Amino acid sequence: MVAGWGRLVSALITAVLLLAGCGTVRIPADPDGTLDRVRGGVLRVGVSPHEPWTTLTTGEEPGGIEPDLVRGWTAGLGARAVWTVGGEQALVQAMERGELDLVIGGITADTPWTDMAAITQPFTTSQGPDGPQEHVMLAPMGENAFLVELERYLLAQEVQV
Amino acid sequence: MTARFGSTELPEAQERCLRRAVRLQWVSILFLVSATVLVYVVLGNSQAMKAAWIEDLLSFAPPLAFLIAVRVSKRLPSRRHPYGLHRSIGVAHLVAAVALVAMGGYLVVDSGMKLLTAEHPPIGVVELFGTTVWLGWLMIAAMAYTAVPPVILGRLKMQLADELHDKVLYADAKMNKADWMTAVAAMVGVFGIGLGLWWADAVAALLISGSILHDGVRNVRGAVRGLMDARATTYDDAQPHPLTDRIDELVAGLPWVGQARSRVRDEGHVFHVEVFAVPHPGVSPTMDELEQARRAIDELDWKLHDVVVVPVTRLPTELLA
Repeated sequence: MVAGWGRLVSALITAVLLLAGCGTVRIPADPDGTLDRVRGGVLRVGVSPHEPWTTLTTGEEPGGIEPDLVRGWTAGLGARAVWTVGGEQALVQAMERGELDLVIGGITADTPWTDMAAITQPFTTSQGPDGPQEHVMLAPMGENAFLVELERYLLAQEVQV
Repeated sequence: MTARFGSTELPEAQERCLRRAVRLQWVSILFLVSATVLVYVVLGNSQAMKAAWIEDLLSFAPPLAFLIAVRVSKRLPSRRHPYGLHRSIGVAHLVAAVALVAMGGYLVVDSGMKLLTAEHPPIGVVELFGTTVWLGWLMIAAMAYTAVPPVILGRLKMQLADELHDKVLYADAKMNKADWMTAVAAMVGVFGIGLGLWWADAVAALLISGSILHDGVRNVRGAVRGLMDARATTYDDAQPHPLTDRIDELVAGLPWVGQARSRVRDEGHVFHVEVFAVPHPGVSPTMDELEQARRAIDELDWKLHDVVVVPVTRLPTELLA
């Protein structure tokens, strides 16, 4: 039994490493292919108003720290951001339905949306009423290639508040 | 110092086994502490990882129950506890078995729910020594660490469970088996997530939960039966304990005995034996003969303890079936 499992696992690992070596498999991958769709295409971003993280002016593209970060990332991916403005819950639910790829708006690491969205690594820390707060973005659940790509970008940025 | 279970002194071989078992359980606890800390650090959002962590917590129950029960069972019988405190082992067996059921049940419900709601577990990156690493790789490494010791510990405990007739150790060995199986399942599951198979984690957990639940239910039944004074069984509850038949044969072979049946219940490590003997017609056993019969049974095996031999005119009907 023990030997059987061990063999099975090592066979699996070898097979996947071989595949990865040939460049046919990327780990982690997206079950729904979000990153591949966004690259060279459109990133659908949900923006909830929360200054100074997001600032909204009628007739203009969203501004502020987080939209600037998003634009920096999409530029690197050869993609274009399309913005949807709304309340956090409506945006998170739209992302759950697959209508959005990212939700921003001054969201912190202790957000209650953890069951409905993937929380990124924090890109900066600010002083909140209850002490330091780590600022994050919300990505679709389980789109791990997309999440990892975004997190790598965020971690490489120096964000000044 | 002689190791003992209540007033029963252990033979040398069993004494060594008991010491090894106690040592093994301390090693298990130390390992579990390190595993729970490590897994908690890399927990992330993986379903199987969370399951592996909760199951690590539940795995504390059998070794702790064993260590406490062994301590308690050493106490001598007293006015308040005329049978001694051997039953502490039975109680510990129940505790360990319930932990096993809880673990299997939790896995079934939790991974089943995740599949039904089609939840896609997110696993991102972490910064480690200045570089970013996919958390999945760390999870797999942590699981590999937590999978190896239970295989070894479980096998050692299983041997000792037989030697010591200790059902707590038996249930604990099953728990160790559950531990390494869930660890391997979590590795496969996280790997599957890495490949973009969101369901891999939950399916892997579901596949092994059945066998864990089965072990748990079997052990709960065994433990409850033991506490309900069912006939003594082997350490794995697989069959009636052969000592019962050997006692009957021994007593039936005594010159004054026509027919004999015994009632043997498992007090924990040791058995409590009541023998009903029907003398040959017209024969009345002497005190000496009764005492000799008692001593002969006592010497049959270290587990036989608190032996009572009663001459009767007729065997209790329930023992004749």
